[in-house]
Amino acid sequence: MTAVSLADGIPLPMKRRGVANWVRSYLAMLRWDMTNTRLMIPILAFAQAISGAGLVLGFGLLIPSQPPLVAAYLVTGAAVVTLIMVGAAVGPQLVAQQKMEGSYDFMWSLPVPRSAAAMSWVTLNAIIAVPGMVAALVAGALRFDVSFAITPMVVPAVLITIVSGTLLGYALSHAIPKPEVTLLVSQILIFVIFGFAPIAFPAENLPSWMATTHQYLPFVHMANIIRDSLVDGIATDVAHSYLVLAIWSVVAIAVSAAVLRRRK
Amino acid sequence: MTTATAEVRIRSGVGFWLASYGNMLRFDMVNLRIYLGLVLVVQILMGGGMAYMYGFYFGDISNVARTFIVTGIPALALIPVGFVMVPGAIMNHKIKDTYDFVWSLPVPRLASAAATYTLFTTLAIPGTIVSLWIAHIRYAVTLDISWSIVPAILLTSLMATSVGFSFAHAIPEPRLTNLVTNLIIFLALMFSPIVVPINQFPGWWAAVHRVLPFYHMANVIRAGLSTGLVDSVATSWLVLAIWTCLSWLLAAWVVGRRR
Repeated sequence: MTAVSLADGIPLPMKRRGVANWVRSYLAMLRWDMTNTRLMIPILAFAQAISGAGLVLGFGLLIPSQPPLVAAYLVTGAAVVTLIMVGAAVGPQLVAQQKMEGSYDFMWSLPVPRSAAAMSWVTLNAIIAVPGMVAALVAGALRFDVSFAITPMVVPAVLITIVSGTLLGYALSHAIPKPEVTLLVSQILIFVIFGFAPIAFPAENLPSWMATTHQYLPFVHMANIIRDSLVDGIATDVAHSYLVLAIWSVVAIAVSAAVLRRRK
Repeated sequence: MTTATAEVRIRSGVGFWLASYGNMLRFDMVNLRIYLGLVLVVQILMGGGMAYMYGFYFGDISNVARTFIVTGIPALALIPVGFVMVPGAIMNHKIKDTYDFVWSLPVPRLASAAATYTLFTTLAIPGTIVSLWIAHIRYAVTLDISWSIVPAILLTSLMATSVGFSFAHAIPEPRLTNLVTNLIIFLALMFSPIVVPINQFPGWWAAVHRVLPFYHMANVIRAGLSTGLVDSVATSWLVLAIWTCLSWLLAAWVVGRRR
């Protein structure tokens, strides 16, 4: 970067555009977000790990003799549930908390590109979510002897799941002005993701109208691509799932961008 | 009834206690009016909603397993009221700093506690029945309802309310109470023999559940809704009664002390 100087030698502040500025802002925001939530991160990550492993072990108790297919669904599904839960439900709760504390507007007054702030948020959510996913898989391997066939596709699958899930939650929490409503919506989302989305059980167990609806929602596709990268022979039509998730990500980015660009 | 209507009322006697109880019942009802609707919603989600959810996870199951789910649902619908909403109401007082005010009201503390017990015990009943009805529609099993379902639901509801009441008062930090309620829900939904037979659990964990109240709640209610699925129901009644009495003792100690 060429430094422009005033006559008396004091350098001007760096111009606020360009890739270097974006990266710098992203790193600064990431440090900011991490420091801001430093007390929450270990607790949330731990809670995710507990709920991921708990989902596997709990249903292992309730359904003691599981056929391998059901067990594979349960284990991979528990991993996916914890991943989605963080971005779509825990993230919005953190934003709602910022709004209630009154620190929300201050955050947006920081001199960083809002896209850098958004990506920092996605990174933070990934840090919280990944331990839960690992815990679910480890618990599953120990409890059910699921034979994993992990492919490199696990990296893009987990990435797109976290990015699209987090951005959906992000759009939701920024588009809804009242934090109380955000909290309520995120509670409902937890309920739907946990119980009424065919993530940890086959879609055939749902009534057909619900299964059809889920073809257009992102959750079942997130589960499909992650399952495809972890075990053999369950996932079908993976390309279609990637396409649906790409569309959902674009929608979430567009909504987030529209909300964040708006000035009060 | 006393004929002496002096300016200063004497704050003792059965009449005063009953009047205080009536007043506190009214006070709680007005205070918690938003809760009244919320209780029903939460119960239908936790009871009726879980009936559907378990169905999705369990897939195709036998008739006995279906009956187990349906007869476990009322207990599942009662748990959030006693173990979450009662502590939530008390937590709210602590967070909003109205806790000390409630105790400063000139009523016997026993009357105040009895009002809370009465309110939540009765409040939980409609949601329980609706949840049972939803589960019954979902699984279409034949229930064999006996008169013992009435005391079963009343005692389980009273037990849950009493336990929730005493631990919410006993734990000074409301955030800790919140954590405890979340743990209880997690435990009840995923790790308790409520919608499945207890003998499919590993021995040590089943032994833990023979001490905890959740299994016994489901057991006495199941005995009132079906025949042939339940054994040692007398033990379950006894365990629930013990939990109720112990929680009353704890509540009496916590509520009675002065700071």
